[in-house]
Amino acid sequence: MRFPVPSMVATGAAAVLALSACGFTPENNSSAQPVDTNQRIVVDNFRAPVAGWELETDSAYILSLAGCLETLTKYDQAQGKIVPSLATEWKQVSPLEWDFTLRDDVKFQDGTALTPEAVTASLQHVLKAQVPARAFNPKMVSEIKALDAHTVRVTTPTESSLIPYRLASVNTGILAPAAYAKDTINPFGHCTGPFKPVSEVTKQSLTLDRNEDYWGGPVKLAGAEIRFITNGATRAAQVQTGEADVALSVPVSSLATLETAPGVGILKADSPRTATLYMNNGRAPFNNLNFRKAIRTALDLDSLAASVYEGGALPSTGPFAPSEPWAPAGVASPRQNLEEAKSLLASAGYTADRPLEILAIAERPEFADVATVIQENLKNIGIPVSIQTKESAAVDPLLLAGNYDMALSQRNRLIDIADPIGFLTADYTCDGTYNLSHFCDPEYDKTIAKAAQTNDQEERYRLYAEAGRILDAQAVNAWLVNQQAIDAVRTGVQSYVQDPLSRYALTAETAKSGSGS
Amino acid sequence: MISFIARRTAALVVAVLVASFAVFMVPYVTPGDPVRKIIRSRVAGDVVDESSVQALSNSLGLQDPLPVQYFRWLTRFFTGDMGLSHISRTPVVEQVLPALAVTVSLVVLALGAAVLISLPLGISAALREGGRTDKIITTITQSFIAMPEYWLAPLLVLVFALRLALLPSAGWTGPASMVLPVTTLALRPISYFTSAARSGMIDALAADHVNAARSRGLSYRQAVLRHVVPNGLLPLTTLFAVWFAGLLGGSVIVEVIFAVPGMGRLLYDAVLNGDIPLAQGGVVVVVALAVLITTVADFVHQLLNPRLGGRLG
Repeated sequence: MRFPVPSMVATGAAAVLALSACGFTPENNSSAQPVDTNQRIVVDNFRAPVAGWELETDSAYILSLAGCLETLTKYDQAQGKIVPSLATEWKQVSPLEWDFTLRDDVKFQDGTALTPEAVTASLQHVLKAQVPARAFNPKMVSEIKALDAHTVRVTTPTESSLIPYRLASVNTGILAPAAYAKDTINPFGHCTGPFKPVSEVTKQSLTLDRNEDYWGGPVKLAGAEIRFITNGATRAAQVQTGEADVALSVPVSSLATLETAPGVGILKADSPRTATLYMNNGRAPFNNLNFRKAIRTALDLDSLAASVYEGGALPSTGPFAPSEPWAPAGVASPRQNLEEAKSLLASAGYTADRPLEILAIAERPEFADVATVIQENLKNIGIPVSIQTKESAAVDPLLLAGNYDMALSQRNRLIDIADPIGFLTADYTCDGTYNLSHFCDPEYDKTIAKAAQTNDQEERYRLYAEAGRILDAQAVNAWLVNQQAIDAVRTGVQSYVQDPLSRYALTAETAKSGSGS
Repeated sequence: MISFIARRTAALVVAVLVASFAVFMVPYVTPGDPVRKIIRSRVAGDVVDESSVQALSNSLGLQDPLPVQYFRWLTRFFTGDMGLSHISRTPVVEQVLPALAVTVSLVVLALGAAVLISLPLGISAALREGGRTDKIITTITQSFIAMPEYWLAPLLVLVFALRLALLPSAGWTGPASMVLPVTTLALRPISYFTSAARSGMIDALAADHVNAARSRGLSYRQAVLRHVVPNGLLPLTTLFAVWFAGLLGGSVIVEVIFAVPGMGRLLYDAVLNGDIPLAQGGVVVVVALAVLITTVADFVHQLLNPRLGGRLG
């Protein structure tokens, strides 16, 4: 049995920190105050590097949010599209080839120039990794070469419209050749970003100074410290005390306290994670559409969001968050209707001959409560439900093999790239490698295959919306709540733009007023 | 003496073998595939590519039979090589030693503080057995037992970091950052140490040789200082060693809450991620150190114990 440290820690911390909402000395910070370019900033991050600074791992996220690592392209959350970064433009020159034109005024922090050769070497290092990055690996990219003094050519094994998205993945960040001189990657002095790392305290923090020669113009902060604080309640406490200026991904349990804490602002955004009640479409009684619809109609998502998630999540409208550019327009969150659910159940010919089981993964403690709410909702329409909580490592094989009724889980739709194609393919196509629902619909597969070949972003998003409508109409799963990404920021911090995926935090524009935190 | 050392060395070897085998088996007896756990901890996500699983399994030698894997590790270990972490591919020793240094500092400070506080409290309580002072000390220190670390730590953060802004809420960056984790960890040992010191002193006060010493003309104060205190506090050496050994790997809650980069966190993460070499290396070092500490404590205890006349049995 695993020692339940996180849940014990979270419970204790939440209980005590909840008491701290009143009586805390207010601080008079205002974003209207002038920027002080001598200020430094402290950012509490929720992850620590687990595998050195290997770019194919999640360590790349830390280097990117720290303003050190930059990619050829970048995903602009506000515009919902890929924008230039180290590359100024890109073009698909043949079905299998993409050319990226590099910005010509970029130098690495060690003074060497960003050349096509350096970019090629850096990307090849990621391609050759023993455990390659999901976004950028030999299955998707067959060759990278320096074409001329300004251009890098990326060749794919099959036609792909998503290469510019793949090169926005933080795993494809570009480091100077000297970073790869030894067995392990050394990012110190080898990035191109607005901040250069100067020291690291293992498992604790990374300190960065302003890059005076940044290609993107003057950097408004003198430096920054990224602290690796894995406990959410501790991150929340640090932003309250002013020890940290920004706390990324604060837990819902700290939200009420932080919202009333003076000098702290809360930023919320739809995250690409939807808590989902997976239903095994391949086995009775879930192989009946009306039965699946009955389950969905019986659920009270508003109560679920308000109670278990304490306002840190919104009732789901389907497989996508409503703010995502590919979400079908005009879709509302389903309302609980017990009479309709009972009628659907009757038409499905359901008889309660055995209790149905919900598997809840232990790594997400809130799922135990979610399962209890669902159990109660389904009891109201005559479906007996039992609950099993297991670790995801134990649950996964059962789900993939189709040995389950219902399961609570949540997936990051944009974990590979800023486009849901990977998720929609793996999770819902007939041959999908992570098709937990065991759903198979040729029309859906055709839509996804067409989207994968579509370069035009608008058309591709329309196809994703169409795919989403199919999933919704087929009631493949019950999508419960959309998780919110929640960051806490001291009011003295300026021009901080929240990224729900925590890829970007510090930029040249990030600033702090002179009055402190 | 030689027989004592030989027996304890044999115990050390057995403990190391048992612990290393137990940790080695953890990823195989808990649900889930160890290779997938490793991949997931490197690239967080649900979908694991099968070709990556095969390649990594081959590269790490995880396709070999379990006895072969275990004896390969054992052979390397006895030549001083703890191997590479499966996750970070860096030498285990480079991760274990800094974490051990942090935890040893944390534990030494916590138990040192506990001893310094417990001794006067235990002695005072014993010398006033049944009196008001005894009752106050006993009641207060016994209440510390009922304060779990996961409750006490956030409470201390609330008071000293949030309300009073006197101390940092987390980190391990200097003396100020050590105060709250050390205090959290010290409170329960204070309770046990005070109780042990009090009981030991009460027993020693009632001993015949103390009365004999007084009948030879020693004042009460002299008798207490020369005969009661040394004997009465003897049980503390064992208790100290047991707590020290236990906290080496058992301070995980404090380390997580206060973001202390110690052994507890290291081992917890290693087991969670299926990082067998790191978990094995860490546990073996902790177990070896724990056996060593309890051995030294037994040695000291028996040397100092007048009833054993310094004999090592």
